Amino acid sequence: MSGPDESLLSDHAVDTALILIVDDQKSSRLMIAAVLEAAGFTNHLFASDGVEALDVLEREPVEIVVLDIVMPNKDGFDVCREVRQRLNLPVSILIQTALEDADQRASAFDAGASDVISKPIHPHEIVSRVRLHLERRRMMNSLQRYRRRMEEELKAAEAMQISLLKSDEDVAAIARPRGADLWTFYQASNQLGGDLWQVFEIDETRFGILMIDLSGHGVAAAINAFRVHMLTDTLRHDRSEPGLWLAAVNDYLYQILPVEHFATAFYAVIDTASGHLHYAIAGAPPPILLEASGGWQALGGSGLILGCAPGVSYDTWKTSLKQGDRLLCYSDALYENFEQPDLSLEPEDLARLAHDVVSREGGAGFMSAMIGQVFDDPEAQSRDDLTLLLLEVTGDR
Amino acid sequence: MEYRTENRDDRLLVWISGVITFDDHEPFRRIVDEIAACTPELVELSLTTTKMIDSAGIGMLLLAKDKADKSGKALVLSGVTGHVAKVVELSKVDQLIKIV
Repeated sequence: MSGPDESLLSDHAVDTALILIVDDQKSSRLMIAAVLEAAGFTNHLFASDGVEALDVLEREPVEIVVLDIVMPNKDGFDVCREVRQRLNLPVSILIQTALEDADQRASAFDAGASDVISKPIHPHEIVSRVRLHLERRRMMNSLQRYRRRMEEELKAAEAMQISLLKSDEDVAAIARPRGADLWTFYQASNQLGGDLWQVFEIDETRFGILMIDLSGHGVAAAINAFRVHMLTDTLRHDRSEPGLWLAAVNDYLYQILPVEHFATAFYAVIDTASGHLHYAIAGAPPPILLEASGGWQALGGSGLILGCAPGVSYDTWKTSLKQGDRLLCYSDALYENFEQPDLSLEPEDLARLAHDVVSREGGAGFMSAMIGQVFDDPEAQSRDDLTLLLLEVTGDR
Repeated sequence: MEYRTENRDDRLLVWISGVITFDDHEPFRRIVDEIAACTPELVELSLTTTKMIDSAGIGMLLLAKDKADKSGKALVLSGVTGHVAKVVELSKVDQLIKIV
């Protein structure tokens, strides 16, 4: 990737920018053309009044208009206004005004002129202004092209990232036969994110759910998320032991992540047949267990964030999981409020909100309802990547 | 985030206030450079007036600690309360950086 073009105007080169010269006096048109030609601007068109000028502008890719004010049929101010309002063209308009008339100069800008040049024409001034505006246009165009390309690349990367996540059908194919429904939500703060969730088949009755949040956000976090995704898919460690498995992930991340990057993670093995949840935590916010009985608990346990030290051990914790219980896993973007720190939510706030929401909206409707409860403007981009997983124990197998 | 540093006889003291987030990489780099260049062998990051810290902010503390280690200095955090204390508790960063 390269930055914006640096091929701006050189002083003496021939420039083929298309310039429209509009003046009702032929002598003025020819004089302006001669001045511009001498400075290397060889590509021009003429119009002798406002109507003709607009006609040319509708047909030709004009970059700069040198425009007189007082003309028959349609004056320069009207041309300006029509170019901006009706034709909506980004062309640069240099309007010729008498220097001493401040009101007229102000009206020219109000009408949509890009700049004013003095009349009678001063050769050095008109050449300098034309150059300046062409330079500005080319810089803007180059920045716009650069920006469009970056947006396209980010969009492609975003699509790649989303394609890594399992589809609802794939998730259901793993969870349903094992007695559970699992609903997922992921939204990157800025196209590319550093959050990641994954579901693994373990055996006929058990499956694993993983949530990882790479530190930071944006491109660096996203690249790390890609690497972690590859790792978690290929790591040949026993996924049925959450603590040992996170320890293996940690050792690998310690090797690949720079010192200021790390990850938080929650990994759980769901076994609805035996009614148990085994899990390990590495710096992740505590998932909330909403019990079928109406009670709730934030899962206990903790562990060091991943990727900072080698040989760290992680405990495997255990809790019971009954039919009708729900487990809510979430990334910190759900409860942290950096704009108004005092409004950050505590696990009990989340539990209460989630409890309200599940009583109205189970399953598929839960995510948007929960997000609507937490954020004032759910459509607004969150400042950090947001991931939610909701597990419901159905017991049907 | 705002910060100020003070060179005392025995330590470099860095007061950090406000929120430490992803957007503070540049000022934090300056802190890290000061840590590498300072004379005292002890660096204290005072977070008494730090209101919040995000994951990128924790990453910056880890970077500061690494820089201190590599230049033969000890780095400690002080004034860890409120949201920062919760993040430390969750992340177990106290296993990596000494908190006084």
